[in-house]
Amino acid sequence: MSFTQQKEDREIEEALVRDLQAGNLDAYDKIAELYQKKIYALSFNLMRNQMDAQDVTQEVLLTLFRKINTFQGKSAFSSWVYRITLNASYMKLRSKKKEPNISIDELLPSFNGAGFQQEKIQDWSENTESLLFTNETREVINKAVGLLPEKEKVVFLLRDVEGLSTEKVSEILDLTIPAVKSRLHRARLFLRKKLSGYFEEYNSQKGET
Amino acid sequence: MICCKECIDLLYDYIEGSLDQDTSKSLEEHFEECPPCIAFLNTYKSTTTICRDTLNQIEIPDEVRRALQSFLKEQKGQQDKK
Repeated sequence: MSFTQQKEDREIEEALVRDLQAGNLDAYDKIAELYQKKIYALSFNLMRNQMDAQDVTQEVLLTLFRKINTFQGKSAFSSWVYRITLNASYMKLRSKKKEPNISIDELLPSFNGAGFQQEKIQDWSENTESLLFTNETREVINKAVGLLPEKEKVVFLLRDVEGLSTEKVSEILDLTIPAVKSRLHRARLFLRKKLSGYFEEYNSQKGET
Repeated sequence: MICCKECIDLLYDYIEGSLDQDTSKSLEEHFEECPPCIAFLNTYKSTTTICRDTLNQIEIPDEVRRALQSFLKEQKGQQDKK
């Protein structure tokens, strides 16, 4: 998205927020239309359950409506929406029994004493095309992301999936920029390792036939 | 020469293009001598792309969209009565 486009979007958004604060209900529809997909997708990716994501989306839309006058414009409106979405999703998750997370360290790369890689690394990056978008691959990816510890998962979803800037993610999560970077790097290493198992196996099967 | 561990620690900033020239150069020298790290770099980048493409496919299902619409209507109706 170009800078001018971003600036225009921001101005439209600010105008909508002012209208809603002034009690204009049409502005509410527009804000809901602009944000409901983002809210739904983020909460769905965090919880992987349609009913829960629907509940959270409704709750967030209601909160936007009721609390719009507490929004002071210190951060971007969208950051405020993301924060409300995260809080609502975490509340929902907490009310459910959680599967224990596996330790992320187990899946980080290992090195020998001299700092050289110990495992054999296959390059499967060229061979993912035919596998992408099959149900099995989607399942593997969703499962891998689901296994990420919460701290890393939320950074990964906002930065890599939503495509927000590092600065924006740091604003939403109230983290320093280095903390955002380090969590994202760990998330990518974890996912790379998880996906490697799957794609390497596929490559070796292909080699046999 | 930098080792694989340093190389992987630098990957994030390398992809962002935020390494200084010298560090970037020593990283590229490492890549020339180390095919496993090139494989690592390629699959690290692929991981981000394929996860993004997969997770971004989420659309609001029709029944959820309908439920949200009637929910919004209800909320607005309540507001109008006040």
